[in-house]
Amino acid sequence: MTLLRYTAWRLAQAVPVLIGILFITFLLVNAVPGDPVRLMVEGQEVDQATIDMLEARYGLDKPFHERFANYVLGVMQGDLGHSFHRGMPVTELIMIRAPPTLMLVLSAFVFALATSIPLGVIAAKRRNEPADHVSRLLAIFGVSTPSFWIGIMLIIVFAVWLGLLPSGRLVYPWRDPGFYGLNNRLELWYHSIRHLILPMIALGTLQMATLMRIERSSMVETLQKDYVRLARAYGVPERTILRKHAFRSAQLPVITIVGLNLSTALGGAVLIETVFEINGMGRLIVQAIAQHDYQVVLGVTVVLAFIFLIGVIITDISYAYVDPRVSYGDED
Amino acid sequence: MATTEGQLDETAEGTGEARVGWRHTIDQVKRDTTARWGMYVIVIVTFVALFSALDANLNRLTLGHISNYAIGQALPLLEHPERIPPPGEIYRNEPPAFAEGGSWEHPMGTDHEGRDYLTRIVYGTRISIAVGFVATFIGLVGGVAIGAVAGYYGGWVDDALMRFVETIYAIPALVLVIVFTVFVSGGRPDVIYAVVGVGLASIPVFSRIIRSRVLSVREMDYIEAARAAGVKDRNIIMRHVIPNSFAPVLVYATLQVGVAVLIVAGLSFLGYGAQPPTPDWGQMLNYSHGLMHSSPWHSIWPGVAIMITVAGFNFFGDGLQDALDPRIEN
Amino acid sequence: MSVPGETILTVEDLKTYFYTEGGVVQAVDGISFDVRAGEIVGVVGESGAGKSVATTSILRLLDDAGEIVSGEITYRDTTIVGFEEAEEGGELVPRDDMLTKSEMRKEIRGNEIAIIFQDPMESLNPVYKVGSQIREFIELNRDLEGEDAKEEAIEMLREVGIPEPENRYDDYPHQFSGGMRQRVLIAMALGCRPSLIIADEPTTALDVTVEGQILDLVDDLRDEYGTSFIWVTHDMGVVAEICDRVNVMYLGQIVEQGPVDDIFHDTQHPYTESLLASIPRPDKTVEDLNPIAGVMPQAMNPPRGCRFHTRCPDAREACRDIEPRFVDVGEAPSHRAACLKHDDVGYWDSVPIENESRDGVVADEEPPAGGQETEAGR
Ligand SMILES: Nc1ncnc2c1ncn2[C@@H]1O[C@H](COP(=O)(O)OP(=O)(O)OP(=O)(O)O)[C@@H](O)[C@H]1O
Ligand code: SF4
Ligand SMILES: [Mg+2]
Repeated sequence: MTLLRYTAWRLAQAVPVLIGILFITFLLVNAVPGDPVRLMVEGQEVDQATIDMLEARYGLDKPFHERFANYVLGVMQGDLGHSFHRGMPVTELIMIRAPPTLMLVLSAFVFALATSIPLGVIAAKRRNEPADHVSRLLAIFGVSTPSFWIGIMLIIVFAVWLGLLPSGRLVYPWRDPGFYGLNNRLELWYHSIRHLILPMIALGTLQMATLMRIERSSMVETLQKDYVRLARAYGVPERTILRKHAFRSAQLPVITIVGLNLSTALGGAVLIETVFEINGMGRLIVQAIAQHDYQVVLGVTVVLAFIFLIGVIITDISYAYVDPRVSYGDED
Repeated sequence: MATTEGQLDETAEGTGEARVGWRHTIDQVKRDTTARWGMYVIVIVTFVALFSALDANLNRLTLGHISNYAIGQALPLLEHPERIPPPGEIYRNEPPAFAEGGSWEHPMGTDHEGRDYLTRIVYGTRISIAVGFVATFIGLVGGVAIGAVAGYYGGWVDDALMRFVETIYAIPALVLVIVFTVFVSGGRPDVIYAVVGVGLASIPVFSRIIRSRVLSVREMDYIEAARAAGVKDRNIIMRHVIPNSFAPVLVYATLQVGVAVLIVAGLSFLGYGAQPPTPDWGQMLNYSHGLMHSSPWHSIWPGVAIMITVAGFNFFGDGLQDALDPRIEN
Repeated sequence: MSVPGETILTVEDLKTYFYTEGGVVQAVDGISFDVRAGEIVGVVGESGAGKSVATTSILRLLDDAGEIVSGEITYRDTTIVGFEEAEEGGELVPRDDMLTKSEMRKEIRGNEIAIIFQDPMESLNPVYKVGSQIREFIELNRDLEGEDAKEEAIEMLREVGIPEPENRYDDYPHQFSGGMRQRVLIAMALGCRPSLIIADEPTTALDVTVEGQILDLVDDLRDEYGTSFIWVTHDMGVVAEICDRVNVMYLGQIVEQGPVDDIFHDTQHPYTESLLASIPRPDKTVEDLNPIAGVMPQAMNPPRGCRFHTRCPDAREACRDIEPRFVDVGEAPSHRAACLKHDDVGYWDSVPIENESRDGVVADEEPPAGGQETEAGR
């Protein structure tokens, strides 16, 4: 099918970028002045034999290009190396830590879209009226406020002060309810949503603010298009014009920005997971850096970039779905 | 409409016309309330930063009670032992004046070392402003250089740049900067690495903006004419291409100052940015995070400070964008 | 349908202004004309003359900055625009019998008066199928629903000469050429069965061959459906081809109006003459074409006196100060023009002036033998 072919083609296109990412991260991680192994074992009592053993194990006795080639070959087979500190394959570790991050980031975008689209449309409709000015203020403060601070404030207000919501950790809806001492799925869902609310808002606010501005300016632009004026000239009620005639094509820039902003959101997850003590990839990379577990740092960075690339492909496909002018069949 | 006059005319003949465009832009910004407020905030914060950097007396005026531990860190005080309060008078994590147990001696309270919070917030401006400007400057200079060259010469230079940009962009900026800071510093991170990291990480976007601008400027008649007349490539780029491409870059640079402040705050929050005893908002949040239950006040101030500073740049950038963007007519 | 020849739309002394940061744009400044059943009425003039503003005023579709400040627009027995003086202060306020916004939408737009815009590329929504767009408007403006509306839409596509309309119904706008899209827009208008279609420079974006085909199509459709048209254009050639009567606009005002033959062969206004001199014709080379000298002044502050005096080849001192009245001229009873030549106010005694139209050479013209013109009663 064309959709499959298109996806495959886009994935193939992403390969050079992925190799570039591997190279840059690899270069950075290996730029450690001095000996990475000494850094790894810093503060521990080890003899020279152990150090030699570790060097051999991580291939650090080999020249840079050889190590890089080996790493790339490994990654192609799904092997992201071995965690020194945790004593397990990095791939396995990431498989455990990825779902919470994805759940957090996805929910943040759901929150951001659910709020920014109606707010943006209202601001566009009431352009230059008070509602529009308020939304502009909100949007600017939204992009100016550090997400981790929003997280801290939310915890202080809703968890510490009001005691309404839990202050951290997530409850995963895919686990067995018994794991959390709960009786059924429904309770499990209830608790996972409660736990998700604060981190979702903390991470989603920046996205909401950005998307609201895009939604607004895109709607403003579309509302001035000839086809919208034409719909008005044929007696289409204003409500239908907003919901149908202007809305659909106005979403195109929003879709593009959602894809690009995935990168920011994944970065933000590092902070939010730290604030809310969520054991996702973000917290993992922070811990790995502190522990000088550099294979893990490398692995998580590459996987985050990979998730971003997949996200962009997905948004491109949705773009083509909304805009008939773009078809994945006759791509160049 | 009035706004269309404010934009930089793409067909403007050389820099002379571009300057006329600039004047309109400035008028436009002056008229825009949000942009004006943004400008006030930027000016005030920058002034405070410079002032706190220059005036060592601020120390004496507001530092107040100091713990013994902090003395070792606050070097200037070593020379003035008379200012060190007797040990019994040290109040750690004192709440702000309006809360129960607070006093006006420390309007925002004291930190875990007994240092005056307000002073440290004021001092924090210095590092944030420096971070914002320096990081953006690095990104700007690097990006403009690469973007101008790539856009002007095209071909494989351009291709290589675009691939590089895509690659850098795919790695979340915060992660890239952490990895850069930690590993390039050899495990001893400091704010200077963070600043360079943020600067380098922003080169791609700057270069992409300037490149697309250059591509359109390049096709203009007077550039063709200059080339035909045998003007050197470098001169064409410096005299015509760059000045003509600057409007969108300026908008982006303003917004990027805010982004840089936010990223470095995040980094400091994680412990990889500014290191103690340098007063830094992100780092203060790192400490206060542990005190969320006992003294929540301490988490408020640094965040508000970051928000106001960054908002200043964003308001200004937003107003600038409106003034320069012909599509958004009011 | 209506009785042929019956007047269906009257526009009287319409003024539409735009209130912008830079000042008030007097885009339409006191125009009057009417449209009869089954007739094609031309509105012609250079870019910026106010043609589009005049036509969008009829449907009350102005954007926020624009406002109809005075005048009267009557469609059959309904008042689209009407003012009266307020009891206190004497300000103009909308009259009670003027249609409300929602009445406008339900009773006039689409089902009585439809419009076709200048740019066929921008007028169709790129993300919806062409057929569904026509069908939506048909359902909204006629008593047809579902399959019936779809059939009617396909029928209309066939009527405007789109091959295989059943298949094209499900295509998106980008799959149509410019000429085809313009036909779709005409189908859209016809599908709603309005009595009047306003076509705002609908062929400007098309090449000459396609333009010719569309003009022929419209002529046929007019005969078939008895629909009236207001045809906006800046091209006198198009006017000659399809219009019955013409209104020539300059800077927000109508400067000459009358039956098409009289406008062409008994031209009474220097601006109309200039427009006629600029029509490309097979018997003229490009060098012979005589485009109107200079540029039209800003509608923000139009020139005093006759608005055309800055460019008029016949301008004299009097034209600077005296605003010409719109008077009956020529042979035909409904032929009018606003030029001091037809007004007994000393034009013929004053001296020619230098303006953008000439470089020193001044034509010396005698007053016409016909004597005094009568003033148009209004
Ligand atoms: N939304 C608006 N705001 C301000 N001024 C406007 C607006 N729309 C039109 N005008 C002004 O009104 C005048 C008439 O414009 P209009 O679009 O009616 O011209 P036109 O005769 O249709 O020209 P064209 O042949 O280019 O379509 C112009 O001076 C124009 O600048
Ligand atoms: S009044 Fe004077 S300027 Fe105006 S059209 Fe007639 S001759 Fe020309
Ligand atoms: Mg027009």
